[in-house]
Amino acid sequence: MCCNENFEERNKGEKIQTTLDLNDISGMKFFDPHVHMTSRTTDDYQAMADAGIVALIEPAFWLGQPRTGVDSFTDYYSSLIGWERFRSSQFGIKHYCTIGLNSREANNEKLAEQVMEILPQFIFKDGVVGIGEIGFDDQTPAEEKYYRLQLDLALEAGLPVQIHTPHRDKKKGTQRSMDIAIEQGLSPHMVIVDHNNEETVKEVLDRGFWAAFTIYPFTKMGNERMVEVVKQYGSERIMINSAADWGISDPLAIPKTAALMKRSGISLADIELVTYRNAITAFAQSGQINEDDFTTVKNIDQSQKFASNSILRGGQQPRIDKNSIIIS
Amino acid sequence: MPIIDIKNLPELFQKIIKRNLSSDAWDWLQKKSDLIKTEERSMQLNLSFSMLPRQTGRDIIELTNDETAEFNLSGMELNDWTIDKLCRVWLLMQIPEGDKENYLRKINGLFATAEMNEQVALYAALPFYCYPEEWIARCEEGIRSNIGTVLEAIMYHNPYPAKFLSTPSWNQLVLKAFFTDKDVSKIYRLYERANPALSETLLDYVQERLAAHRTVAPEIYQLTQQMNPQI
Repeated sequence: MCCNENFEERNKGEKIQTTLDLNDISGMKFFDPHVHMTSRTTDDYQAMADAGIVALIEPAFWLGQPRTGVDSFTDYYSSLIGWERFRSSQFGIKHYCTIGLNSREANNEKLAEQVMEILPQFIFKDGVVGIGEIGFDDQTPAEEKYYRLQLDLALEAGLPVQIHTPHRDKKKGTQRSMDIAIEQGLSPHMVIVDHNNEETVKEVLDRGFWAAFTIYPFTKMGNERMVEVVKQYGSERIMINSAADWGISDPLAIPKTAALMKRSGISLADIELVTYRNAITAFAQSGQINEDDFTTVKNIDQSQKFASNSILRGGQQPRIDKNSIIIS
Repeated sequence: MPIIDIKNLPELFQKIIKRNLSSDAWDWLQKKSDLIKTEERSMQLNLSFSMLPRQTGRDIIELTNDETAEFNLSGMELNDWTIDKLCRVWLLMQIPEGDKENYLRKINGLFATAEMNEQVALYAALPFYCYPEEWIARCEEGIRSNIGTVLEAIMYHNPYPAKFLSTPSWNQLVLKAFFTDKDVSKIYRLYERANPALSETLLDYVQERLAAHRTVAPEIYQLTQQMNPQI
């Protein structure tokens, strides 16, 4: 999450028109386990598909401003398993999501109580691969309360947990998040600790949790730093994501980082683990990920198979030539 | 009573399901159906409706020629249905219908939080619900969806809209089908329900397409000529 750069500074100066060269990684497949597509355009979907992203996970989070009623949550969760999933499928990208009450809005306790009541209606839906993103923001008592309650829910449902670690007081917040997960009875292998940095990664890995890194300009990890992390810690239980949302962020963070890793001499096997395989292994513990769906997804949610039907269904998005000034 | 005129409809479904399902999955489904028949609230219904594909899988079902013919007589075509869709629709038939208000509440509750594939099953089940006149607004709502498979569940081989929608709503369905490039030959009673208002709107639509140098679906001409033979 972003972002209060000075836009005058950002917009001044020469506008450079270059094209992104991802030839180094052409043919590779990527899985983005954390990206908020609701906030992204169809151009982003097209670019992601072109860059090799075959599947993604959209964690439930806050919308940049607080919701005022429980129905807004119902509609938001519904959109993650409905409209957004369909939008994604139109670009051939398999869409999964995690469902949860984010830490910021956990502080509105009256509303949080109501949200807790509707969560069980969503977590067993098709393609819901975990409870998330949950955890701490300001590390208040209310945040802790709903974090624990949702951990209980995950345990009961046998679902992985996607933990958002706080921006402020990060190291302590991350430690506390792991302590509490263990206290509530979760196994570290069922917990993906997100938004790690150089300061937090060692302990997360040492304690047996999954360590996710968000490649996000300015406020989180840059990908040159990420290359160094992989050089130092290897590829076991490490995954990267874009966490692209409504802030200045990059839905191509994974393919770009893969390209950089390749140029930096990291082995293809390691790149595959941190940009694809590890995220699948972690979230497939939900029983809701079938890799065959990545290749068969065409323009609908092809967890349904239409073997006998070759007609394009659901209106596949026609491809737009972005470099033409003609719009037809 | 549902609108479909097939004798022993739940039994027919049951026969197809049993043939297309493992015995473990069938046992699970039967247990859940017993609970759904007796529960006052919607706990078991909500849970089993969501979790169903994990038990049944999603393979395309196989029908005998007789079964296919029987459904065709009622305007339906189940040959491309997946087993989870079939089982979900069958599960919906198990909801006790005696208490109308509760019956409607249960099914509307499923609609309110349905994911994409669940919506497809819920809309495909329109002809099988009791109190058919109560689902008109729901059907109209579904036509406003932009999710292709949901639209197809309502438009393709579904006898409900032709029987229950008002003329304006029916016209909306047909227009939307043309707008979203659907295979309109699969719309039940497309030509029987042609009407002057639809024809007029479609002719405007044709003009608009031609002015924009876009193609026009041939069925539009068939529909409009039927109403305006002089064109």
